[in-house]
Amino acid sequence: MRRIIVEYEKCDGCKNCSVACMQAHRKTPGTVYDLDLTNPENESRNFIYQAADGTYRPIFCRHCDEPECVLSCMSGALKKDPDSGLVTYDENRCGSCFMCVMNCPFGVLKPDRVTKTKVIKCDFCARDGGEPNCVKSCPKGAIHVEEV
Amino acid sequence: MMHVIIGGGAAGITAAREIRGWQPDAQIVMICADEQVHSRCMLHKYLSHERTAEELDFTEEGFFDKNRIVQIHDRVVSVDTEKKEVSLASERQIAYDRLLIATGADSVIPPVGDLRKAENVFGLRHLSDAQKIDRMAETSDEILIIGAGLVGLDAAYGLLERGKKVTVVEMAPRILPVQLDEHGAKAYQELFEKAGVTFRLGCRAQNAACGADNRIHSVELDSGETIACDMIIVAAGVRPSSGFLENSGIKSERGIEVTSRMETNVKDVYAAGDVTGLSGIWPNAMKQGKMAARNMCGIKPGPGVDTEYTDTFAAKNTINFFGLETLCLGALQPEEGDEVLVEEDMHIYRRAILREGKVRGILLQGDISNSGIWQYIIKNEIDVSGKGKNLFRLTFADYFGTGERGKYVWTF
Repeated sequence: MRRIIVEYEKCDGCKNCSVACMQAHRKTPGTVYDLDLTNPENESRNFIYQAADGTYRPIFCRHCDEPECVLSCMSGALKKDPDSGLVTYDENRCGSCFMCVMNCPFGVLKPDRVTKTKVIKCDFCARDGGEPNCVKSCPKGAIHVEEV
Repeated sequence: MMHVIIGGGAAGITAAREIRGWQPDAQIVMICADEQVHSRCMLHKYLSHERTAEELDFTEEGFFDKNRIVQIHDRVVSVDTEKKEVSLASERQIAYDRLLIATGADSVIPPVGDLRKAENVFGLRHLSDAQKIDRMAETSDEILIIGAGLVGLDAAYGLLERGKKVTVVEMAPRILPVQLDEHGAKAYQELFEKAGVTFRLGCRAQNAACGADNRIHSVELDSGETIACDMIIVAAGVRPSSGFLENSGIKSERGIEVTSRMETNVKDVYAAGDVTGLSGIWPNAMKQGKMAARNMCGIKPGPGVDTEYTDTFAAKNTINFFGLETLCLGALQPEEGDEVLVEEDMHIYRRAILREGKVRGILLQGDISNSGIWQYIIKNEIDVSGKGKNLFRLTFADYFGTGERGKYVWTF
């Protein structure tokens, strides 16, 4: 399977990856130049956090081998795809219980801000042919895709 | 190898999938009293008519065919562990090499008045319960719900959506008493009241007599008040569904007793899920089912392959009603000497209970984004002191580590 490998030492916290993620998942057409960063509907699926020493830690979905989110899903919305290895999310099946948010040991998941009925979850940019936009946008090479 | 699984809930389905993953050629038979696979956690969405029975199915399309699982819709009446076979209500016998009991639990109807014999009193546990409630709701206006836990409020939510007049009676002085403190409970109480629910807190049903039509038309509370009703839903807890094991030799007290490998006291018989009484939480049932399956297949533990149910932490829940979401983990009431941290604004309530640098319990309401770290912190008793920041601002970045193949690893 393919995974986004994180080299946090290279991250300078610019959040290009987060903006790219918001742009990749926006509901309206347009370019990154007219992406409304204040619209709560535009949410990033990745997170850059600052550690206590001021350096940065990119927190991205691992599409875990034994995904705790899938092991908490009571609706069948979250699945581990046996072929691609990706953890997929079907928002139409989701029962909005948010057990997956509770169960992700790395705190990657969150309810959507606006309707509180869906989960914000990395889909490896399936819409763009499965090449994650966050990776393409990183100017420091702190994240890259690897076959693992 | 013949694997027989009794029960098609979270534990049973997970176990069947896991067995198929390890043993492509084994036979798998699932005996299920339910007519169809359904997620109990979504029954309220059936009551509210947001979902059909088919839409409660949590397995992928073609799950049984694809995994070559033979389904038998029947009730198990006994297990003969000497002959290694189970007997069904239809008088058929099914032989097994390995047996998994994952029959879940059933609602408890307390012996108050005629609650147990009236025909307008239901639990809300199985799809069949929801279907009965749904049918009777067609001709009922006033609904009385006994118990303001998650199941009681699920029922209230579903029936409110149908425009019913709902009254909820709860013994505790607040709703969701197992999950929430006073402040957190109040937020949901207000939302439910705004939607039309009437609560009677701190009191219990004392008497309920059937009329000539074998239905209860009013319930008397210990406060002296009488509440009229067309239908009653009892959400006062569950009990492991293991009555058919009498005389089987399989040890069961408050649930079937199991080892960490999910073995019962009888060789080749395993149990998982709510029937063990270990936890009523969906993720725990799935994990138990998974571990049972691995042991049923004789899998040896190795790197990345656990075979023991060690992740037993069960004081956990999430709640989502009317778009207000809550996460509750660990201890709910502070003990003497505990430190309590609270953060609050118009939309958000956060409360943590700490003792000697460790988080004993946490409650997050209104925003549970990225809160998955808290279960890990609490169950592993991680010392959170000395991070130099507000507790509620902690993230995985404060414990960040990476391992083989780009995995994240907790570092502390």
